[in-house]
Amino acid sequence: MSASDVLIVGAGASGAAAAWRLAASGVSVTCLEQGGWLDQRSAPSLGADWERALQTAHNANPNIRRAAADYPVVDDDTPIKPAVFNGVGGGTLRWGAHFPRMHPSDFRVRTLDGVADDWPLAYDELAPYYEINDRIMGVSGLAGDPANPPREARPLPPLPLGPGGGAMARAFDALGWHWWPSDSAIASAPIDGREGCNHCGPCGVGCPRHARASVDLTYWPRALQAGATLVTGARVRRLIADRKDRIAAVEYVDAAGTAQRAVAKIVVLAANGMGSARLLLASASRAHPAGIGNDHDLVGRCLMHHPTAIVTGVFAARLDGYKGAFACALLSQEFYETDRARGFVRGYQMQLVRGSGPVATALGGYMARVPWGRDHHRRFRSEFAHTVSLTVTAEDLPEPDNRVTLDPVARDGAGVPAPRLAYRVSDNSRRILDHGIARASEVLRAAGAVDVVVNPLASAAGFHFLGTMRMGDDPARSVTDRWGRVHGTDNLYAIDGGVFVTSGAVNPTPTIQALALRSADHIAARLKEAA
Amino acid sequence: MSDALLDSILSTLLPGDADWPSAGSLDLSAAVRADCEAAALAAILGALPPDFAAGDADARESALRAIEAAQPAAFERLVAAAYLAYYTEPRVRIVVERLTGYAARPPQPLGYALEPFDEALLATQKRRAPFWRRA
Repeated sequence: MSASDVLIVGAGASGAAAAWRLAASGVSVTCLEQGGWLDQRSAPSLGADWERALQTAHNANPNIRRAAADYPVVDDDTPIKPAVFNGVGGGTLRWGAHFPRMHPSDFRVRTLDGVADDWPLAYDELAPYYEINDRIMGVSGLAGDPANPPREARPLPPLPLGPGGGAMARAFDALGWHWWPSDSAIASAPIDGREGCNHCGPCGVGCPRHARASVDLTYWPRALQAGATLVTGARVRRLIADRKDRIAAVEYVDAAGTAQRAVAKIVVLAANGMGSARLLLASASRAHPAGIGNDHDLVGRCLMHHPTAIVTGVFAARLDGYKGAFACALLSQEFYETDRARGFVRGYQMQLVRGSGPVATALGGYMARVPWGRDHHRRFRSEFAHTVSLTVTAEDLPEPDNRVTLDPVARDGAGVPAPRLAYRVSDNSRRILDHGIARASEVLRAAGAVDVVVNPLASAAGFHFLGTMRMGDDPARSVTDRWGRVHGTDNLYAIDGGVFVTSGAVNPTPTIQALALRSADHIAARLKEAA
Repeated sequence: MSDALLDSILSTLLPGDADWPSAGSLDLSAAVRADCEAAALAAILGALPPDFAAGDADARESALRAIEAAQPAAFERLVAAAYLAYYTEPRVRIVVERLTGYAARPPQPLGYALEPFDEALLATQKRRAPFWRRA
């Protein structure tokens, strides 16, 4: 392969954004992606077996899905199971597209609350990149939310709330609590060649109308148009360092199974906080005996998820929650900021989740499984199309023992050790969740729920892998610097969620992409300066 | 293992009534075998009392509840496979449509109609002063 200025590993949310920004700046960019393109025009939601697809080929858990592009994840030491996707688009192929920003306070948790560390950058530095990203992803929403700093008018109006969302909005009002229509990376009206959402429900199987944004539809066409090169079916095995401070090449196995080497002036890891940390650890050599960037035993540590409880109200009235984007309607950030009187530090977001189809309802996607036996049909009818759920998304603080390591036994098809997850929900996170469960139950009852069912920790909520290559100015306390450059190396960057210092209590993709755009500008400026 | 034995299990898990067909009446055994891990299914079948299929509804339910208590993981796999097969069966989807109004068709390409977002709902929230922490 001919040399590029920049080689990106991973074509998901961050890799796509960086590829476009760099290519549009005149930088030659190549991206290696272990998966392929997904044809969303023929998504399973067009067929009768769409619910089977959600449980099997489109299952969020790679250990269940077992697609050719996936790698195994050893998850027997964590209550939160992985929910990641490999392919051009990465996790955005499978996501719900809820698109909130982090708050200014999220970047200053040490200063404000005396916990964890401050980020080496502030919200204001990211704000312009959030705006660029919102325009390219085609965000629906409404500016003016009093829980957040001002932002530009949203490109598109909010998605419909539906009957359940309307009832919840009135209940939040009745309690005097905040709610606001969600910023959603789902087009409520046509934009950039994408059709508007027709509220079919199962965004997770792909969107045949291209209404739900995924970066194969938003960033990649722009990046390719600007000259970026994307190589699919390329499974990276390791980074090769020719000096302590320099990555000379990236070794990968191509779609034909042949070992290849790619070289570039700068290498950028964008394989999510689990995959990128895994590659750093798997690239141990004489110069880097514990893995690249791991002189202080920090790579893979401080893994943060967003521990999530799901509280579901069962209503006597029909709410038809299977209609509408499942994860996008409204949010409440009433309890987002720290109030120590609540018994914990930091906070949480509540996000409305609509109902499910018949299979997921019976299997208990958000609730307990509907019992089998003679009462099954009555219970199914009382729940199906009669529920609305609130997720309680807790800010997880960095804990060194929560980590990604390499499994000594399991390997992927290219021989790379599988990641092993070790994770415990901290006491603070548990107290956050318990507070959120009580408040969510209260507002659901205020909305008229006749029963409230609590899932205290959603096991299938391992969507977000944050903190494993944390940013910081001090190399002894961080893996990457304020631009994502791996400390001690000159030409290696990480731009995915692994660089997060703290997690905030919101879905991280807008922040991941804003950080990627910012790092791309830094890299382009460096290359220009060197030229 | 005969289809009849698996059908009797399925009908115990998902019995029929005036509205719903029993799972054992829908020729779902092949689908359940395909979706349920073989070892789990074998474990459940191996734990059945020899006269399971001949028992009445109470006896069959008691037998399955005992197996569920003894082998919860394997039993859960069987239940999940049974629900998946049952609720993707077209004859059941027609019942769901009749009883709940949920159309027996794929979500796309037609989607569903929803009223547009009504900004008037935000009247109370718009009166609230910004409350995010400055940092």
